[in-house]
This record gives sequence, structure tokens and C-alpha cells, in this order.
Amino acid sequence: MNNAHIEVQNLSKTYRVPQRQSGLGAALRSLARREYTEVTAVSHLSFTIQPGEMVGFIGPNGAGKTTTLKMLAGLLHPTGGTAVIDGYIPWERQPDYLRRISMVLGNKSQMLWDIPPLDTFHVLGEIYGLDKTAWQQTVDELTAVLQMEDLLTKPVRNLSLGERMKCELVAALLHRPSVLFLDEPTLGLDVSMQRRLRQFIADTNRRTGATMILTSHYMADVAELCPRVILIHHGRLLYDGLLGQLSDQLAPFKLIRLTLDRDNGSADWRERLPEGTAVLNPDPANLTLRVPRRETSAITAYLLNTLPVVDLSVENPPLEAVIDQIYQEAAV
Amino acid sequence: MMHLRLIRAFISASAQEEAAYRANFYISLLHSLLNFATGLLGLGIIYGQVQTIQGWDYASALAVLGVYLTVSALRGLMMGPSLDALAGMDGEVWRGAFDFTLLRPVRTQFLVSVRKWRLFALFDLLLGLLVLGTAVTRLNHTLSLYHIAAFLLALAAGLLALYAILLAAASLVFWDPGLMVGWVFDSVFQMARYPVGLYPGWLRLVLTWIIPVGFITSIPAAALSEGLSWELLGVSLAFALVLAAGASWLFRAGLRRYASASS
Repeated sequence: MNNAHIEVQNLSKTYRVPQRQSGLGAALRSLARREYTEVTAVSHLSFTIQPGEMVGFIGPNGAGKTTTLKMLAGLLHPTGGTAVIDGYIPWERQPDYLRRISMVLGNKSQMLWDIPPLDTFHVLGEIYGLDKTAWQQTVDELTAVLQMEDLLTKPVRNLSLGERMKCELVAALLHRPSVLFLDEPTLGLDVSMQRRLRQFIADTNRRTGATMILTSHYMADVAELCPRVILIHHGRLLYDGLLGQLSDQLAPFKLIRLTLDRDNGSADWRERLPEGTAVLNPDPANLTLRVPRRETSAITAYLLNTLPVVDLSVENPPLEAVIDQIYQEAAV
Repeated sequence: MMHLRLIRAFISASAQEEAAYRANFYISLLHSLLNFATGLLGLGIIYGQVQTIQGWDYASALAVLGVYLTVSALRGLMMGPSLDALAGMDGEVWRGAFDFTLLRPVRTQFLVSVRKWRLFALFDLLLGLLVLGTAVTRLNHTLSLYHIAAFLLALAAGLLALYAILLAAASLVFWDPGLMVGWVFDSVFQMARYPVGLYPGWLRLVLTWIIPVGFITSIPAAALSEGLSWELLGVSLAFALVLAAGASWLFRAGLRRYASASS
């Protein structure tokens, strides 16, 4: 698509990682001769993102999410493939490109630790060459929305994790980036703070029209913020589409919920279940079965014929369960 | 202009960071006075017994100490704190906070070189200039304009060489984040508080051109005490420029390595 804001083609990244056996002998040997192994973090990843879109980037630990974000932010050079964001190649790190993007890392801070947040914001204002009036306006606006006016004059080291994350978000948005990379922004926060930050991120996306890529292990973040998700595993793309359709396409199973007639020959229901069916809830009043997706209709028909069924419904499994299954199975 | 505004913002933020720890102020004061006193005491002991060593009299050796204290103060003012923040176990590269430095739309080498200031070093600078001033009044000749110009140029070359060495040492962090070559250099740099002429011939060569700590202090001091030839001044400036270019190249190579190796 020509008007894509982010266009990624066959992006790959292989790391060379030192490797050695445990023990003192191996440690000493590795001083003289170090052995390396190659680890593929990202493999032939391709996708496009439209301006203003908010996309969730999900996958298990070590899937290659952060590596991909870092390549797109220009922090890492890829081993292969291309990426064009707003007409720029990220890893060329042109100042004009860096002025358009921003990144929030949930486990790292860009705040100056010993002084109040306002002073870090001042330094950032100078780094990005912001006009004093525009800087003040943005700080006022963001701090009002995040209700953090009283935090501005306290040293950062005295702030709570949630308060610090508010500061990180202001620091990242001061120069009004058009692309925002959010890597686990709600990491370690309590549910109430998570919800407030999600609300803020959604509002920012609507208000500024910035394109956003979010990675998070909290499905609530992704479900609430991102209509579209990109699922990667072992660096490969497994799914790119609407979150609501992820279960349809990727879950290898469906759930059948049954209510059996207890008075009418349902005592031996367990023996009459077809092969490949797993019982998730054995209560005949609310029997829940997990069945292979491809055999759903055949099994449904069989159950209706052989058991005293009062009520039956077929459902997709909950999103968390699908994701968990995908993460565990390593590939679909 | 933008760079100057940025430096002003960094100085202001650093001053506030420094003010956050009051105990540091007293420790720094003690450290400065000890550094000052041991330097003077060393010279006092030596020159209490002899008039000159290898052609260096008290006034010239005092000039070297003055340059040493001045250069150390300038290093402690900005180059040291900024570049030291990269290396070591609590350094930016180790913690991964270097990612934020790379995200800034400003030349990375400039950013890592000027972002932290230790304003207390201005007190060290005052002590250094005091010693230098005392040395000048004890010289056997009056200073000509050429002496002063040559001194300032040689001092600039020395500072540039020092910056280059510190930048090169800091760049090695991209090969091994735990590496702290800066500490090793600090120990060697202590030798620069005395004239290189005092050391044996081979060590003099090493300390002037290989690990050029002597170059950093003895040549500017010589410009005051005995004068420098245009040729030596030219070679000094060229040498410092080559070192700076080499260090800058090493830093860029380190950045490329970081960009291809970190996660």
C-alpha cells in the first residue's frame, strides 16, 4: 500500500551470542577462545501499518518483539530485509526521523533520577529544539490529562512506579512524535494504574493521530487498545489481523457447552464421548468440552444424537487460552 | 547555537543533580584539597633537596603541577562525568539506557561528551590556576605574548588529546560493557603531575607519545617555562588532532557494533 506509514519487508535479525559450558575450566578456556552461536531473533517479518493505526505486537518472551521494535526505532541494524517509516529507513538514524518517533520502554527509564521530572522535560525540550511556548503548552496539556501536576517538582527517585511511568509518557510525547513505540508500558503496574494509562494511550492516539505499536504481555492492554494484532513467535509472523478473529484463525480447538437432561439417561455421558474430546467442566448441568476445530460439526451432531441434550452452544475459546496454547505449542 | 543551549540545559540539570547529595560536596572538597596538597608536598620534598632535576627547576615543575591540576579539573568538570556514565556495571550501556541516547536527534558523540557536568570541579580549576599563577611568578623570565599563545595552544592540544583518550577508553564499552579502561588510564595519568623529564628515557617516550599523559601536561608547561618551537607546537596540535580523529572513528565503530549486537 502506497500510503502506509510503516512498511516492513522480510525484516530479519540474527544475533551472534557467546556460548560456553558451565564451570571454571570452561570460563578460563573462553577467555582464550570464545565460541559463538547464532540466534535468529526475527525472521522474514513483513507487515504494513497505516497512519494513525494502533497495532498490538504480541508473542511469548523471546519471540522477537522488542528486537523488531528496536530495529524500527533505529537502535538496531537488521541482518536482512527493509523497513520504511514515514519515508525514512530507521537505522540510518537521520535527525529528522528521530524527531518523528518516540519510544517508551517499560523496564527502562529516560528520566534524570535525582531531580524533578520538570527538569528532565526542560533538557528534552532543548534536545528536540522545542519552542518555549510549544513546550509549555505540551507539558501543561499532558500533565493535566495524566493528573500529575503535583509530581512535577518531586525528585524522580521518590516517585512510585506508576508515577514514574506517567513521567515517561510525558517525556516520550513532548516533541509530539508521529510514531510511538510502546514496549510493555504497563509492566509491573497495579490494575487501576494500568487502566488509567491505557485510557491515556487511547486518548493520545485519537487526539494526535500518531501511529502506535504496542507490545504487552497483558492481554487486557492489547484487547482494549489494539483492534489489530501482529502475533510473532520465534521471530516468525503467525498472525496479522483483527484481534477478534485471532481465535477463529489460530485456535486449533473450539468449546462446546452442554446442558444434559439428568433424569433421562445421562449418567454414563462420559463413556459416550467421542475420541479427541477433552472435558473441561464435568458438571452435566454445564458440561464444557474442548474439541478439535475441524471436527466440531461432526462431534456436535454426534453429541446431539447420542446424549440427552437440553441445551448446546459452540464457542471460540477465551483469547488468553488461545494465546497460551500457541505460546506452548511453539508453532501453529 | 542549539549546541550551546543544550550545554546550558545539561549544566543546569547537572548542578541540580549535584545539589541533591550534600555529603558529596564535603567529600569532593576533601578530595580536591588532598590532591592539591600531595602534589605540592611531593614537589616540596624533592626540591627541598636539589635545585634542578634533569634541567627542571622548582618553578617549571610547579608549572607542570599547575597544568596537571588545571587539566584534571577540566576533565572532572565535563569530559570525565559524561564519558564515565557510559562504562561499568552501572553504566548506560550495561543498563540499556543507552537506547534513549541513541534515540535523540543530536550527534551521539556530542551528546555523550557534554551531558554531565560536575560543577564542583570549578574549585579544582581555581586551585590549578592558583598553582599555575604561582609558577609563572617564580619563572626566571617574563612571559612574552608568544609564550602565552604557545601555552594556550599546547594546553588546547593536551585537552584534545585527553578527550580523545577518554573517548577511546569509553568506546571500548561497546566491545565489553564491563570494561573500564578509564580507571587504568587514571592511574597512569597520575604520573603526569611531575615533569616527564624526571622519568627514565624509555618511559619518557611512552608517556609522551604512546600513553601521552606527559604530552598533556609537560608540553604546555614547557611552553611557559622555556618556550616551545613552532615545529613542536605544530606536531603537538597535529598529534592531538590525529588522536581525536582516531577516537571518533573508534566510537563510531563501537556504535555500529552496539547497533548490531545489543538486544
